[in-house]
Amino acid sequence: MNESLISLEQINTWFPNNKSLLGKPRSWIKAVSDVSLNIIEGECLGLVGESGCGKSTLGRAILRLAPLSSGEIRFMGDDIGKLDNKWLKPYRAKMQMVFQDPKASLNPKMTIFKILSEALALNLRVEKENYLEQSVKLLDLVDLRPEHIYRYPHEFSGGQQQRICIARALATDPKFIVFDEATSALDVSVQAQVISLMRELQDKFNLTYLFISHDLSIMEYVCTRVAVMYAGQIIEVQDAGSLFDAPRHPYTKALKNAVPIADPESGKELGILKGEVPKLSDPPTGCHFHPRCNYKEDICSKKSPLVCKTGENSWVRCHFHEKLWKQGILINSKESL
Amino acid sequence: MENSVINKKSEPASSVEPVLQVKDLNLAFNTPRGQAKILEGVNFDLFPREILALVGETGSGKSVTAKSILNLIPERSRETRGQVLFGVKDLLTISGKELGTIRGNRISMVFQNPQSSINPVFTLGEQISRLIRLYLSAKINDLKFKTQCSQKQAVESIAREKLNEVGLTDIKRMLKLYASEVSGGMAQRYRIALALISSPEILIADEATSALDVTVQAHILKLMKDLCKNKRTAILFITHDLGIAAQICDRVAVMYAGRIVEVAETKKIFKNPLHPYTRGLLKAVPKLGKNKPLSFVPGIIPDLVSPPRGCRFHSRCDQAMDICHKQKPESLKLEDNHNVSCFLYKE
Amino acid sequence: MKDNPMAVQTDSYDIMAQKVIQEHRKVKWFQLRRLLKRRAAFLSLIILVLALAAAVFAPWIAPYPEQGQGAVNLEHRLQPPSSNYVLGTDVYGRDMLSRVIWGGRISLFGGACIVFFAAFIGVPLGLWAGYNEGISGAVISRIVELFLSFPSTLIAMAISILIGAGWFTAIIALIIPWWPWYTRLVQGEVLSIKQMLYVEAAQMLGYGKLYIIFRHLLPNIMTPVMVMILLDLGPAIIAIGLLSFIGLGTQPPMADWGLMVWEGAPNILSEWWISIVPGCAMFMVVIAFNIFGDALKDILDSNG
Repeated sequence: MNESLISLEQINTWFPNNKSLLGKPRSWIKAVSDVSLNIIEGECLGLVGESGCGKSTLGRAILRLAPLSSGEIRFMGDDIGKLDNKWLKPYRAKMQMVFQDPKASLNPKMTIFKILSEALALNLRVEKENYLEQSVKLLDLVDLRPEHIYRYPHEFSGGQQQRICIARALATDPKFIVFDEATSALDVSVQAQVISLMRELQDKFNLTYLFISHDLSIMEYVCTRVAVMYAGQIIEVQDAGSLFDAPRHPYTKALKNAVPIADPESGKELGILKGEVPKLSDPPTGCHFHPRCNYKEDICSKKSPLVCKTGENSWVRCHFHEKLWKQGILINSKESL
Repeated sequence: MENSVINKKSEPASSVEPVLQVKDLNLAFNTPRGQAKILEGVNFDLFPREILALVGETGSGKSVTAKSILNLIPERSRETRGQVLFGVKDLLTISGKELGTIRGNRISMVFQNPQSSINPVFTLGEQISRLIRLYLSAKINDLKFKTQCSQKQAVESIAREKLNEVGLTDIKRMLKLYASEVSGGMAQRYRIALALISSPEILIADEATSALDVTVQAHILKLMKDLCKNKRTAILFITHDLGIAAQICDRVAVMYAGRIVEVAETKKIFKNPLHPYTRGLLKAVPKLGKNKPLSFVPGIIPDLVSPPRGCRFHSRCDQAMDICHKQKPESLKLEDNHNVSCFLYKE
Repeated sequence: MKDNPMAVQTDSYDIMAQKVIQEHRKVKWFQLRRLLKRRAAFLSLIILVLALAAAVFAPWIAPYPEQGQGAVNLEHRLQPPSSNYVLGTDVYGRDMLSRVIWGGRISLFGGACIVFFAAFIGVPLGLWAGYNEGISGAVISRIVELFLSFPSTLIAMAISILIGAGWFTAIIALIIPWWPWYTRLVQGEVLSIKQMLYVEAAQMLGYGKLYIIFRHLLPNIMTPVMVMILLDLGPAIIAIGLLSFIGLGTQPPMADWGLMVWEGAPNILSEWWISIVPGCAMFMVVIAFNIFGDALKDILDSNG
């Protein structure tokens, strides 16, 4: 069970910015810079960060939907980072994605049957004659009724549409699914339904998930491990349980303190993080977080912190994580910053 | 805990005149499949200096309620009944001209997407100056007289003061920018500053922080709370996020399928939710640091073209009784101003 | 609510499908009813149906079919409207009613040809240019911009002078400056639809360019294209009338409405009906197309 399903080595995804007349980019948007990460088979890895930190791009880069500037992506041991579309096809079936906006991810002019058939075409185990039967089975898996297959996407509610998207992802018989903010557009009660469905399916088909979200509070319910991303870099990876009780990186704590808690008697005041999210085209030198950090010292603006292991599958990128850890500054999260 | 999030109201709510009363508001749209009864008998009061959260899921009618308060819903193919009393005036029946003097002046609104609710072709400075000239001409003249400066300088210094109030810095540069050139958090603060220039009695915030990141949201929420305290503006905060309601609001009204099912003070409603829907909703909310499994209310919100008879929640309610299928529950006033529309609490 | 799906026989899927199809049809009917409830749209539709019926059944409807096609009738020249000749006669004594009916045939058919062929050329090019941002897309965009920077009537006139006057050449001459409008419309639509996640979902499934263009993009741009076709029919009829009016289009003895207006022009002060009757016909049909197209656009837009 502890095998890596996917391992990323020094991934970079840069987009050209501000092209000159000849089409040469003057600067680059460094959406993902130097990310190394492994995703263990059977786990649900959370990826949390604020908008514009590059988390969606990272998810897309793993599936080869976003360009890869450099680095290696190993999927079950094979390097898929440099394959072109033709050679990627067998891997496509094994890796699927569910997007944030279910309405926009279903073609409004296609019936559910057509949408599912399109994905079933990648599943070599299903014959063409059996598409109808298989579609009904898939809908049943996500708690929709068989007569729904002839309907159009706009006839469903947001939660149902998202379940159709999950059914489409399952149609290809995948091993790995990326959920890109898949529950963010849904209401809380619907979100809870979809999440319990996700967990159920994970057990049933032994799936591996990458769950991308900006919502820290949902992470605990879904994920086994969480990676925190800030300005194109992953700054901390920890088990979901200990991440919230004992964050190692100052940013994780700030993020956590900003989440409003649905309990007026928690006595917690919202923590205010000063400053603005840096632009990815021009990130700060050294540690990307240093201009907003309360514990910064000279070295933070000069040297980029290295990855420091804190456990078997967890690490942090901070110059002073040991000092902060010993002083216990980050742990007492009940107090405001 | 003197800087606790909840402002305990010093006076009992009933002794103060509400600044806005919504009485039996009904609204229906004509759709291909028949009439959709979007709002049915919505009642609530908004008191001065309070933040009232209107909480509900998609399709519960919370945004429509806010828009009907200001009569912002196009008249074609809709039917409205009921009253929205602002002082003695019924906003639903007064003339468009009179409404124009209230809208944006005495009642302001802040929307979900800040960048798209700012005119993209004028700079931020031009837009705020226009509003200052419109609403604060007395103050401009005063300033001109006192400091012997030109009209333009006076307007700019007022603009700076107003933007400072909402916590914006580097204002000089910002006034020259366009809506697309500022970040979401800055744009939303700017929007709030615009909304507050006329010193409105009511600020309606329609999902004002939903499009923002949590760290930015925390800024805006703090700002709103301070404004409510210092400026004596009542805020109607429409949101789907119960965390926000718990964090900054004085009272919470929960909407379900076009009806308000429960209204109470924030602490009470979170400690002792009465309506089965409120209970289910609270259990579905993920709470950071409390790893209790999420539960959810089974089923989906009803189709408003043919809503269930009686209580609109009965088909999803695990405590439904016979009467719930037949009769619409009236709002019951229990102790501590806790209002709930459910037959479970009828004697 | 969950029943075992495998227990459902395949036959019952057909019944389900029927039920759903019927429901969808009901929604379409409702849209149509809403369209026809608008008085202007309803009136326009009646005018268009009448004009189309007259054009199709001209040989049976026209009182003097052979005069409609140009046979002269010199003993009844320039007669005002009477019981024999309801709309009067022209310089060669031909019945104006028959002439207008036959002229409508040429005008309407010509207009339809221009618009349909323009769309036929323009839409695929627009799809390609919108989806591909490479060199081919850029080349198409530049060509479109080139055409759109000249007045299209002028281009059409120049081409018809080059390749010779006549009904057929006039149609060709009008299609050439007309298709870029469709390319531009489609290109713009594609640029926004391309951002939709379902296109990305299809890419993720490994589908190729052509598949995505025809299965995902084309069905989703059809509504604006249909509306534009409807709205363009009026201007196309006017354009072909204009070319005929200046002698580059339909040649006598056949005549479309534009040519007929020109034929009546010398006598406009005394025998007014010769110009006014075809002019009115053209006016009414063009306005009707516009009103109906606008109404249709409203209804389709509001139903998203």
